[in-house]
Amino acid sequence: MDTPNAPNPEAAAPAGTSADINGRLGSLLGLIAQGDQAAFAEFYSLTSRRVFGMARRVLIDTELSEDTTQEVFLQVWQNAAKFNPAAGSPLAWLMTISHRRAVDKVRSSQSSTDREAKYGASSQEIDHDSVSDEVGSRLEAEAVVRCLETLTDTQQESVRLAYYGGLTYREVAERLNAAVPTIKSRIRDGLIRLKTCLGVS
Amino acid sequence: MNPHENDNRLPGGFTAEIATDLAAGRVVDLAEVYALNAVDDAERAAIESYLASAPAADRDAFSERVRQARETLATSFTAEEEPPPGLLDRIMSSLPAQAAQPSPAAAPLPGTGPQTPPVMPHPVRDNSGMAATDELGAARKRREERRRPQGMRNWLVGVAAAAVIALGGVGVGAYVANQNDPLNQVLQASDVRQATVDVNGGGTATVSVSPSRDAAVVRMNGVPAPPVGKVYQMWLIPKDGSAPVSQGLMDAEALSKPAVVKGIGSAAALGITVEPAGGSAKPTLPTVAAAPLNA
Repeated sequence: MDTPNAPNPEAAAPAGTSADINGRLGSLLGLIAQGDQAAFAEFYSLTSRRVFGMARRVLIDTELSEDTTQEVFLQVWQNAAKFNPAAGSPLAWLMTISHRRAVDKVRSSQSSTDREAKYGASSQEIDHDSVSDEVGSRLEAEAVVRCLETLTDTQQESVRLAYYGGLTYREVAERLNAAVPTIKSRIRDGLIRLKTCLGVS
Repeated sequence: MNPHENDNRLPGGFTAEIATDLAAGRVVDLAEVYALNAVDDAERAAIESYLASAPAADRDAFSERVRQARETLATSFTAEEEPPPGLLDRIMSSLPAQAAQPSPAAAPLPGTGPQTPPVMPHPVRDNSGMAATDELGAARKRREERRRPQGMRNWLVGVAAAAVIALGGVGVGAYVANQNDPLNQVLQASDVRQATVDVNGGGTATVSVSPSRDAAVVRMNGVPAPPVGKVYQMWLIPKDGSAPVSQGLMDAEALSKPAVVKGIGSAAALGITVEPAGGSAKPTLPTVAAAPLNA
């Protein structure tokens, strides 16, 4: 169970898994890099729910989330040629861009007190992410739920506050009334444990 | 190592400060916090600058851990929500030409690189907008904005605020190159006029306007590089009140070179904003400089 780098049992990539989607997104990025607008529209249709969904979790405000989504996709259009498959999957690349932009925006537009208050209102549904009819996608979502359960409650809480709350480790520590070094290790250990369980290699 | 065995390690070897963690040689253990964007801008810069001079083995180990953490996050946190209808159309209609993009060297990690202080610390929607967290308030605000001409909302303020404009028939001797290139055609035109405007955040922009050439040359003087992930974008503000038209992007490298802007005859003013890397379809951040053209 805890063997690091154990192969992912779901690695066969049935339709609807992220591996399956990543293959398509990678091809589309190649076309987008050449200015293919149809490929861009397909990329948007495959990923815009994720980008907007993340922005809404972090920013809450609909209009700021819409602005962020627009900026993210403009960045996809401009930077598709710089996508490097060796540095990560297309989805991780896109969500990295999206999270950074959402976090930058929330930190420059809201005080951390506001964010923590808003996060409280939005954090209830996090366990029910990713409802999908695709079999592969459902299996993957179940693996995520199972793997999240291997984290301690405090690890889960710290990672989620940082990710969807847009908080720094210091803000997480203040909010949870915990020592700053403790939060750093919870984030590190929680993400490493999640990675190992999911078989991310 | 079995991750479970690490749980009892006293606070995982971390200290309260990123700087002390780095000094203690723990940069690789900061990969997850970094990938999660759970550091502030100064801490991110400190980590990146430490890595820049760290042994290659540390850099590689850090990048690998960041990559795995990002894959893990993208797999685990999958909130979805349908974006507003029409957003794709708005994005498609605003796609800039890809050739206009200045391409800084690809970095192994997005955001890796020297950190420069932000020129514009506050985006245009500040607390006044955020105070209305309720959906009704946001919807009302959107309606109000739609009533205005596209893209003009930030501009009107910026142009009006550009108060100190020095106009004069300054001679131009600094640029000596091919007389037939567009740059020199403007600068050596008999009717060239110059205006120098302050750039918010430091430095000035000198605009040399030649109505007979229907073009202007913009030169930035002592303007700091745009913040990481941002570029300067130049716009022409049409006289007829229609939306500003992008004239291209300037990254840190392009800042040192004069830029030629053509087709100024129909423009009332030229403006410069700070925009996300890749540029924007319409100005989204406050104006850092604006100059009337009077062409």
